[in-house]
Amino acid sequence: MKRLWCLALVLAAPLAGCSTPDDDEKMAQELNVNSRYIIETVHVSGNTLAGNMSDPLRTDLDKVVGSKFDDSMLKNLAERIKSELRVSDVTVNVTRGTEPDHVIVNFEVRERSFDMVVGKFAYDSREGWTGDASANTTIQGNTFTVGLLSDGDSLIERYTGVKAKFERKNVGTKRLRVRFEFDDYHEQWNRATLDEASPNDIYRSRQVFTPEATVVLWQPLEWSFGVTFARLSVPGALPTGGASTIGFGAAKTESSNAVVNTLRYHQRWGSEHDEKEQEATASYVMTAASSVLGTDDVFTRHEAQARYRYRRAHSTVEIGFLAGILSGNAPLYERFVLGDATTLRGWSRFDLDPLGGSRVVHGSIDYRYRFIQAFYDTGAVWDRPEEREQKQSVGVGFKKQNFQLAVAFPLRAGRVDPIFYAGMNF
Amino acid sequence: MRAIKSWWLILAFVSGFAFAMVAEDLLVNLRGDRLQLSAPHVHFLGGGKPLALLHNAEAVPFDFQVTVFAGTQRHMFTRLTDEFVVSYGLWEEKFQVVKTQSPRKTIDHLSGPQAEQWCWDQMSQAMDLGGLGSAEPFWMHVEIRAQDAKDGSLFGRGNISESGISLGSLIEAFSKPARLQQSHWALDAGPYTLDELKRSRRGG
Repeated sequence: MKRLWCLALVLAAPLAGCSTPDDDEKMAQELNVNSRYIIETVHVSGNTLAGNMSDPLRTDLDKVVGSKFDDSMLKNLAERIKSELRVSDVTVNVTRGTEPDHVIVNFEVRERSFDMVVGKFAYDSREGWTGDASANTTIQGNTFTVGLLSDGDSLIERYTGVKAKFERKNVGTKRLRVRFEFDDYHEQWNRATLDEASPNDIYRSRQVFTPEATVVLWQPLEWSFGVTFARLSVPGALPTGGASTIGFGAAKTESSNAVVNTLRYHQRWGSEHDEKEQEATASYVMTAASSVLGTDDVFTRHEAQARYRYRRAHSTVEIGFLAGILSGNAPLYERFVLGDATTLRGWSRFDLDPLGGSRVVHGSIDYRYRFIQAFYDTGAVWDRPEEREQKQSVGVGFKKQNFQLAVAFPLRAGRVDPIFYAGMNF
Repeated sequence: MRAIKSWWLILAFVSGFAFAMVAEDLLVNLRGDRLQLSAPHVHFLGGGKPLALLHNAEAVPFDFQVTVFAGTQRHMFTRLTDEFVVSYGLWEEKFQVVKTQSPRKTIDHLSGPQAEQWCWDQMSQAMDLGGLGSAEPFWMHVEIRAQDAKDGSLFGRGNISESGISLGSLIEAFSKPARLQQSHWALDAGPYTLDELKRSRRGG
């Protein structure tokens, strides 16, 4: 992990510049003749959700009144409104004020009542395709989403199926939102996993119902709490056991019900319009399955993740961290996996641990100049301390917006098989 | 068959005439020892998306690129580029132009045509045709491109948290007029010789 920090410092060096933000702002103001005008009033219009803006954002909007017109600052505020209200577009309209040399600024919020979104689309030369698409409609603040997905990347198994979700972003107060999600997946297993797993651990399908509420503790910190009710269809096995015998006996249904608590932090400084931009996300998820919930599997799972991105002009550095611990007897989809499209890129998860692990630590650093990127990943996934072995990988590629094309190599002695990744949002 | 031929002749004449009209858009004259460029019929501040942005108090950068071909139309003699950031004062209803490359210059309180001509003047002043033979034919190619404000990305912005292609965004994006149609101008003129331009100056 020390190496990771050293690499981060080396890569961050070119990002340190000589010009100050004040210089940049001054230069931007000189370019626009309207920067001599004073902002008379600020309005937010066009959406009933405008009342959901956080107090800090409202304060910042209020602060703009009386200040000199600054186009880039207004665009930053528009980005913040868009991000906070989760709407499709926010435009800035500027008109003359009622007094000479004053202007009125109106942020017009637009939300699509119906949209289709391709959330993730990726190809991994070893595991094949992963895709996630959904359609959503919003009626009076209630969002209904139906989606299809086939994911061979994020878990030990490939899961394919449908998901349906209802979400309300404002339940009496802008600080509380609720979500109900139902997922129905069919699983496919890799031979390496079947060979290592107990037949009773392999399930053929999974239905998950998740009611969840989210409270904004104080911006930008949120706390989500809910319960997941999962029903797993486990094919029966012949008494002799072994992977090849799965599916010959009578199928049975198992339950895996757990309380889920999530603390989430997301903060962004600056926007794509600025010379510099920073973004940080962090989350801690605690999942506890206890017999009180009528579950067959009793376990506790803790997972912490953090990512930080810093962009200056065309250079971007992104640092990621993941740690997790699992105790008890959990279904395979709760186990930790490395060797996917975001962790230990270049390694196959089945070479690392075909069953996933109960302990995980991972760090990564990505550097990007314009659309050319290079990355370094390191981490370990294990069950027993003697199994812990730090692995590393490196890769290069192209990334434009969320599209990515990369080739990654595991750092190990002997034969090296690179893995190619292509797609978006992985 | 004869009717078809005559149609071709008319078409050739009309297209030749149209080409000549377009070519006339870029005027090249000699002022002192320097070329003077102008395009009285081309109004890059006269409408379209750039003007809409300017009227919304945004500053719009325009990239100018002048290329001189000498001898043949394929031999580039010199190329000159510059950026002009234009803004429109909502209260004065006048334009300000900032020439961002060295030497940096700023001018304001201009009408639209005056602001356009100032850009042409700056490009003309910076153009050096030293080394060009007085009888050598040369051609000019000028491109002006407005740097549109970012419309927001279709595919997310490469952020940690934002993701997904929205079909609605795609439909909106493909419904917009082509970018070139909105804010790109390409002008050609020539062939000229310096001798010819000197004679026309004396004659004029």
